[in-house]
Amino acid sequence: MVGLVIPVGLAILWEIAVRYGVVGGRLMPPPSRLAQTAWALARSGELLVHIEATMTRVLLGFALGATAGTLLGMLNGASPLANRLLDPSIQALRSVPSIAWVPLFILWLGIFETSKLALIALGVFFPVYLGIFTAIQSVDRKLIEVGRVFGLSSTGIALRITWPAVMPVWIASLRTGLGLGFMFVVAAELMGASEGLGYLLLDGQQMGRADSILVAMIIFALLGKASDSVLVALSRPVLRWQDTNRMRL
Amino acid sequence: MTRLTVRGIGKTYADGTEALRGVDVHAADGEIVAILGGSGCGKTTLLRLIAGLDETTTGAIDVDGVSLTGTNPAISAVFQEPRLLPWLTAEANIAFGGRRLATEERQARMESLLARVGLAGYGKRWPRELSGGQQQRIAIARALIGHPGVLLLDEPFSALDPFTRASLHDLLLDLWRELRPTVLMVTHDIEEAVVLADRIVVMRPHPGRVQETLPVDLPRPRNRLAPAFDLTKRNVLRAINRSLAEVPSGPGPTSGNGFSPWV
Repeated sequence: MVGLVIPVGLAILWEIAVRYGVVGGRLMPPPSRLAQTAWALARSGELLVHIEATMTRVLLGFALGATAGTLLGMLNGASPLANRLLDPSIQALRSVPSIAWVPLFILWLGIFETSKLALIALGVFFPVYLGIFTAIQSVDRKLIEVGRVFGLSSTGIALRITWPAVMPVWIASLRTGLGLGFMFVVAAELMGASEGLGYLLLDGQQMGRADSILVAMIIFALLGKASDSVLVALSRPVLRWQDTNRMRL
Repeated sequence: MTRLTVRGIGKTYADGTEALRGVDVHAADGEIVAILGGSGCGKTTLLRLIAGLDETTTGAIDVDGVSLTGTNPAISAVFQEPRLLPWLTAEANIAFGGRRLATEERQARMESLLARVGLAGYGKRWPRELSGGQQQRIAIARALIGHPGVLLLDEPFSALDPFTRASLHDLLLDLWRELRPTVLMVTHDIEEAVVLADRIVVMRPHPGRVQETLPVDLPRPRNRLAPAFDLTKRNVLRAINRSLAEVPSGPGPTSGNGFSPWV
């Protein structure tokens, strides 16, 4: 609650300043204007369309990127041969800034949904891949030995020792990936979309409507935080054993 | 009841370090054998080879006359650190050691062992919520739930305070009397070896070899203050000093082997 003091205080101050004509509100509209704009967008149903479009893109892109990152990270973490074969190429690709792929994706996949999903998935992929790959390689050898002494097979060790051991890092990397998913959906929607919160941003810029832009930004923040909270809540039961405060919101 | 025979075991690591050379150790059914020696004697290496965690370079390990390759369900271990799986509760950690048992049998043994190690009511706790001594009790229960023929102990009490250590010695002896596993215990604590073992194998370092084997002919429970106890300790110390005196190279008797030649 203490964290709300500064933003709420600033909003109230800004509202008062605009009301009494101390500052103009065109480029930085006061909270009441933002509320009106948000309400108008919501009532017309437009806001929901934008939110739905953006969230569908984020979630699909996240699912694709996280699945690919998890599978490849597991493969390379567990198999030295796969690691030697694949990791150098993945690391090389990682040094290309993800946004640089946009022209190629548009060329290959068109300007519609597929290229957007590909960009988001790419953004999600790298942190998830790197997280799980590093975590698998740093699983405590002593715990693996416990598994061996008590007769676990290689598969048993993977499922009962390695997987639970990497779970905290995996979830942390999913959270990072999800954050990047939101970053890349903006990039994707700014490059051309007819709906989505990114479109709302671009539209606001072209129409000179700072209120639309700010409403879109605030909704991005709320959606990002809400998605992260859902991820944390889902992962909490499997991370109860941890002796850290990492998962506290 | 299980016999453990280690014959002519040698271990040379890939970097050329020779950790063990020609080690023979025998443990009869239900016997407690302590492996005693300072650092560099290859005590832990020997235990790791028997546990199947490392491969021998030469020699063979038999359990009841059957040659061992890799890990074996008849052999269980307690390590220097508890090594509990942090994502399992105390009772699930114990049950982990009895994965081969039928569910009901495993549950019954787990509950019984939890009570036997004095932690009834602690079963639902996470390892992080237990003290070092409590964690090691759970580790002992985990190692015994499957009723192993051979129990390997790798200095399991060395990180504990003297009070906890003494109570765990008693606990171990109680459980040993009940389940009668053959115990091979590595330690660098002479008193611990004399309290627990039927025989003490003294090792010498660089490379690790058996110096001599001493019987401990003291009735149980053993009184640490009895003159006979003291005498046995002195005999063991002498053996250790002989082992250090005969080392041609490497650190001398007084330099960091963990023992002082004061007998």
